[in-house]
Amino acid sequence: MPLEYSITYKAENTYEHWVNDAHWQFLIIPENNASQEFVGVEFTNSLNAINEYSINGYGFKTIRVHPKQRFKTISFEASFRLIKKEVNPFDFQPEVDISKSYHRIQELVFKVDYESFLKRTRFTTLPNKNESLFQFDRTKSIFENLQILNEWTFTHIYFKTDVTDVETTLDEIIAKRHGVCQDFTHLFCALARQNGIPTRYVSGYLHQGNGYFGDSQMHAWAEAFVPEIGWLGFDPTNNLLANTSHIKIAHGKDYNDCSPLKGIVYTTGKNETKHTVKVASQQQQQ
Amino acid sequence: MLARVANNLFWMGRYIERSEHIARYLNVNYFSSLDAPNTQSQDRQFVLRSMQFMVGDPVLNNEVLEEEKVLYKIGLDPNFPASIINNVKQARENANSARDLISTELYEAINKFYHFVLKYNADAFVKNGLHDFTMNVAEMTAILRGKIRGTLLHDSVYAIIMLGVNIERATQIIRIINAKYHDALNAQGSYGDKFSHSFEWTTLLKCAESYDMMRRFYKKTPTSISTLEFLILNPNCPRSVMNSLNQVYHHIKILDPSKAYNKTSTAFLIGKVRSEYEYKYIEEIEEDIQLFIDQILKSLSEISKKMEKEFFNY
Amino acid sequence: MGNLKNQMFSSYQQNPELYDEIYDNKGEVKTIYKKLFDIYGEHSIKDYVKLNDKAKSSFFNQGITFQVYDKKKTQEKIFPFDLFPRIIDPTEWEVIEKGAIQRSKALNLFLWDIYHEKNIIKQGIVPMELISSSVNYLDQMNGIDPPGGIYNHISGTDVIKHNDGKYYVLEDNIRCPSGVSYVICNRTALKRALFGVFNHYNTCSVTNYAENLLDLLETVKPKGVDVPNVIVITPGMYNSAFYEHSYLAKTMGVELVEGRDLFVENDFVYMKTIRGPEKVDVIYRRIDDAFIDPLEFKPDSTLGVPGLFAAYKKGNVTLANAPGTGVADDKAVYTYMPAIIKYYLNEEPILNNVHTYHCSRPDELKYVLEHVHELVIKPVDEAGGYGISIGNRLTKAEIEKVKKQLLAEPRKYVAQPIMSLSVHPTYIDGTKSFEQRHVDLRTFTVLGKDKEFVLKGGLTRVALQKGNLIVNSSQGGGSKDTWVLKN
Repeated sequence: MPLEYSITYKAENTYEHWVNDAHWQFLIIPENNASQEFVGVEFTNSLNAINEYSINGYGFKTIRVHPKQRFKTISFEASFRLIKKEVNPFDFQPEVDISKSYHRIQELVFKVDYESFLKRTRFTTLPNKNESLFQFDRTKSIFENLQILNEWTFTHIYFKTDVTDVETTLDEIIAKRHGVCQDFTHLFCALARQNGIPTRYVSGYLHQGNGYFGDSQMHAWAEAFVPEIGWLGFDPTNNLLANTSHIKIAHGKDYNDCSPLKGIVYTTGKNETKHTVKVASQQQQQ
Repeated sequence: MLARVANNLFWMGRYIERSEHIARYLNVNYFSSLDAPNTQSQDRQFVLRSMQFMVGDPVLNNEVLEEEKVLYKIGLDPNFPASIINNVKQARENANSARDLISTELYEAINKFYHFVLKYNADAFVKNGLHDFTMNVAEMTAILRGKIRGTLLHDSVYAIIMLGVNIERATQIIRIINAKYHDALNAQGSYGDKFSHSFEWTTLLKCAESYDMMRRFYKKTPTSISTLEFLILNPNCPRSVMNSLNQVYHHIKILDPSKAYNKTSTAFLIGKVRSEYEYKYIEEIEEDIQLFIDQILKSLSEISKKMEKEFFNY
Repeated sequence: MGNLKNQMFSSYQQNPELYDEIYDNKGEVKTIYKKLFDIYGEHSIKDYVKLNDKAKSSFFNQGITFQVYDKKKTQEKIFPFDLFPRIIDPTEWEVIEKGAIQRSKALNLFLWDIYHEKNIIKQGIVPMELISSSVNYLDQMNGIDPPGGIYNHISGTDVIKHNDGKYYVLEDNIRCPSGVSYVICNRTALKRALFGVFNHYNTCSVTNYAENLLDLLETVKPKGVDVPNVIVITPGMYNSAFYEHSYLAKTMGVELVEGRDLFVENDFVYMKTIRGPEKVDVIYRRIDDAFIDPLEFKPDSTLGVPGLFAAYKKGNVTLANAPGTGVADDKAVYTYMPAIIKYYLNEEPILNNVHTYHCSRPDELKYVLEHVHELVIKPVDEAGGYGISIGNRLTKAEIEKVKKQLLAEPRKYVAQPIMSLSVHPTYIDGTKSFEQRHVDLRTFTVLGKDKEFVLKGGLTRVALQKGNLIVNSSQGGGSKDTWVLKN
């Protein structure tokens, strides 16, 4: 049965000194796709600056804010409503001929078409010594291998907050074996790409009602392209396939393409940012 | 025109004008003191103090000033913000960023001016170059004025430069009046020289390049009242405050040709200030010269601020 | 050395191994230079020195300078200018012009392809690494159709004359090629100093560049715009090419803006004028991709405009050159130019390409490592002549160092045979005489929608140090006025 979600996103920024000029770009609006029907967005900021709805370089919806007065504190509040269809992650025709898929991913045309999601980026580059950390078992299908990789990542890394940040790269994550959803996702993407499978980093919201790992901010998971099937969502932080609880905002090569908030702020001194996200759902009456 | 570039053009005009007045002030005061009719006016310390006062760096204590140091500071010291060299640098910097809008001829002249000042030997300047340097600065600014007038289309670019030039001229004339007013006060008493007939009034007129004009107009030795009347109120004297205000009003009308009543506009404020002085008479001013000086400087800075807000906001 | 009765050139030394542009192999002055040679010969070196000084101070007073960055401070310098012009005859020029247009068009089609279907890669004609490991390839440009279908509106193709007397292309500059203002200044300076010489030659004018540029930029206006508002954006007056930016804005009669003069509202771009915001439609940008929009690219850039890329993606503004063109002036792409021209235009290249060894290919790397002493080794992604090693100038230790670099990062380098750039008589201050110096030629091509223009002339850059082959101004090069003769 479809669920109706309401999501509230709040951010508050405080600065030690006056901010004379600032630009923000939010990438927090859920996308419209086959399983998500987007109903509405309300966005406000405490300075009553104009909120401009636009897109980023990859075509995902953004909100830009550029206050015309100086300030020391600014807060933003967004609320979204959307209807999420019930997602059955296994609702697809499995690969009939495994070797055909393995053959396909070797083809030049395939590699060129998915070039963006096969290449190494800053956050998806494996240290040389770890390149064979996870090898696909060619007797199993690509999908099965990805499921195993999902579980492998889940068990290999311990979920722990505040030990990594948005700058942490894979060498550290592999060495220390802990991190948050973003780190799980980068590792999953890197290892799948290493095996020739295009993967995308996905940012979104996770409905936490079910005791999943995540944090009270944003969630991240991966999408992998399986020939003959298409893009499938994997959540290595929770060892799950993306389902009705996963509300997607955007995807990209890695975190850099999807960071929920980009800001250019001209000020000096310290600053502090607080984010909270609340996801609530109710069964939609039919 | 871009607001930022307009701001640069405005300040280019101001810095060109400012460097001229400082240069002439140094020149006239120094050389007229050499054979001044009374000892006070001849006193080197007196002249050096007057110079420092005029550039906004008054000497408050009784310290004895060294001539070479003072001349270097006001003329060529890159670390003294109000020095001539810094004014010329600023003028060129502002011209640089508006280079696509001004004529090649004007730019080339500013650039030449800059290289002249930059290359001037500081040693020679403080020892025996004062006349040569200040005369050249004054002459080069005259060339620049000619290039501004003769090689730019008389549109908004021209209007903004002229606004800068004229607001600065009025400001500098007032500052010079202020400095010489103080000198006249300080110089009285010796040899029965009265304030109203002080030798300093002649120097003041020369500082404003207006001595000959004034003689032609009044046909008498300048007194406090005739000098002030001429330099403040005479609309036909090209250096007078009144003339500058008229110019400012004329040029703001090119930027803002609207006839509608708008009390928040810069044009309105300029018009208001201008008509106030148009109908002033000199006896009113003489009652409290210091008050007048403070008020007009305040009005000029308000005009400048208002322009910044209305036109140069970027 | 026959007819050296002429005192200007009396001490001119000819190295028989070099291709001299004014003397033929018998030591005779070539027909095309005869008049010029005779006219210059009427003067003494003394006269010439005077004229030369005059030309120099004229550049200085006009503020036609650039800044050189050094560890301590930036310095204002004049671009050294040589009063002895280079002449190109009309039949030779026709080849250069056609060749430059051919390359620009092919590169434009290449850019369209690699930001859309990528057929040239899928068909195996060029390797995927050209995009997958290029830092200049912008994923954000995928699927965007730039207004008018043009990516590289302005290209600067560098050609040289080898000792076989043929022109070769050294590189195609399609990010923000600079130098065009110097072409015009050089002409002006030469006219001022020696106007008489122009009476004897029928030389093409170079002053029409700006109007053609504006004309062609107007053809690539965004949809729905009637008369486009064109502007030039500069990093600011401390940029080494600021003179050129202001020159172009001034001669096109358009505004010269900095990033802080612009803002984006509802995905349209506006500039802040004294009468409020004014919409901008076409931006000739002289800032690099990474700096144009801090929200999309380099976040610490203060030169760009937040939101500019969104406005571009929505088709509300034209950027010239388009973002992401840099991928095609990667030196690795250069090496595939003959194949690229053939693939898109089905034509043979009009201008020769210098043979290139790709160090990313093991067999070619092997050859390069064995022949470093007779090759030029170039990093693929550096501009301005930085990081180039010329094999026959290196000591043994230096050769070993280069080999190590090649082995460490083979993909970063390509190698080419050492081309012998032609030489041209150039006045040298130190010896107060004319000497042979190596020259190249930067040409300027503008592409518009169904229209193109090549400036009839170009920047002849001269390496002022004896024997030096690197002509870039940042490496101490000078320039000469370049005459293209009319038919």
